[in-house]
Amino acid sequence: MSDSRAIVRRGIADALPLFIPAIPFALVLGVTILQSSLLPLLGWSSSWVIYGGASQLTLITLLNDGAAAAAAVTAALIVNARHLMYSAAMAPAFQQQPGWFRWVGSYFLIDQVFALCMLRTALPPREFRLYYLSVGITFWSLWVAACGAALFLGPVVPAQWHLGFAVPVMFLALLVMGVDRWPKAVAALIAALVAWLGADLPHRSGLLLGAGAGVGFGMLFEGLRR
Amino acid sequence: MTGFLAILISGIGTYASRALFILALANRRLPPRVTLAMEYVGPSVMAALVVTLLLSGEEGAPMSLPEAVALAVAALLAWKTRNHLLTLGVAMSVYWGLRALL
Repeated sequence: MSDSRAIVRRGIADALPLFIPAIPFALVLGVTILQSSLLPLLGWSSSWVIYGGASQLTLITLLNDGAAAAAAVTAALIVNARHLMYSAAMAPAFQQQPGWFRWVGSYFLIDQVFALCMLRTALPPREFRLYYLSVGITFWSLWVAACGAALFLGPVVPAQWHLGFAVPVMFLALLVMGVDRWPKAVAALIAALVAWLGADLPHRSGLLLGAGAGVGFGMLFEGLRR
Repeated sequence: MTGFLAILISGIGTYASRALFILALANRRLPPRVTLAMEYVGPSVMAALVVTLLLSGEEGAPMSLPEAVALAVAALLAWKTRNHLLTLGVAMSVYWGLRALL
């Protein structure tokens, strides 16, 4: 992957299939925005102001349920707290990058961008930057456009298609592709188990608890492996 | 106005959560144990995310048979082929097929 154009093409080609599962998510969001008391344009602006499907959905749903604005914002931020871990995990790769890219790149750091780019941290700095931006900008423009289109299409697509199931399928595929040694597989299983046990905790905090347990046990197994 | 502020503050908070460590650790040498721990963030968060999504889906818990089979197929294909589009296409077809049959 030495040629710049090849890297950009690679980034776009990797991002496109990952966007398919985001389409049903955008449709659900579109319906939620239309049902809320927000002006549709304001609701849509969350797609580039917040830029994170799960937190946009949480925020708008809670605002609409009559929750206090502060509580809705808190819940949305807790849903997004996993980005703190992405930020920490990406920090080493960003150390070799120019300052502007640390500020700009942070904005694009969503689940899918993290999952794809974590697999490419071994690339030379310039190539990593090109790849990251190609994936990030592809995803961003599609998401902003899809959220806009969803305001018109959301109410039309039948719910029986269960398109939402594509989202966990895609994350499972990304998870499997990132496992390169057994402690990672065990860490993932423990994370899944803890998230399941903590599923009833408020604000989806079981997710963070599960992720924390996975990292903790992963380190423990790393110690055993040596 | 409330809606506008809520979106704006959520946006700023979300950006901060993505930028915090990238900016704070920009010029600091990380201990090897920390970088090793960071390698576990990906698999752990993804696994917890999959479970959370499945449980909050419209069918809720416990997982239905078509869902379980489709996820197993997806895991196997992702592992063997490392092809996103193929994995998604086959897993969703299996899911729809089983739902229609059962």
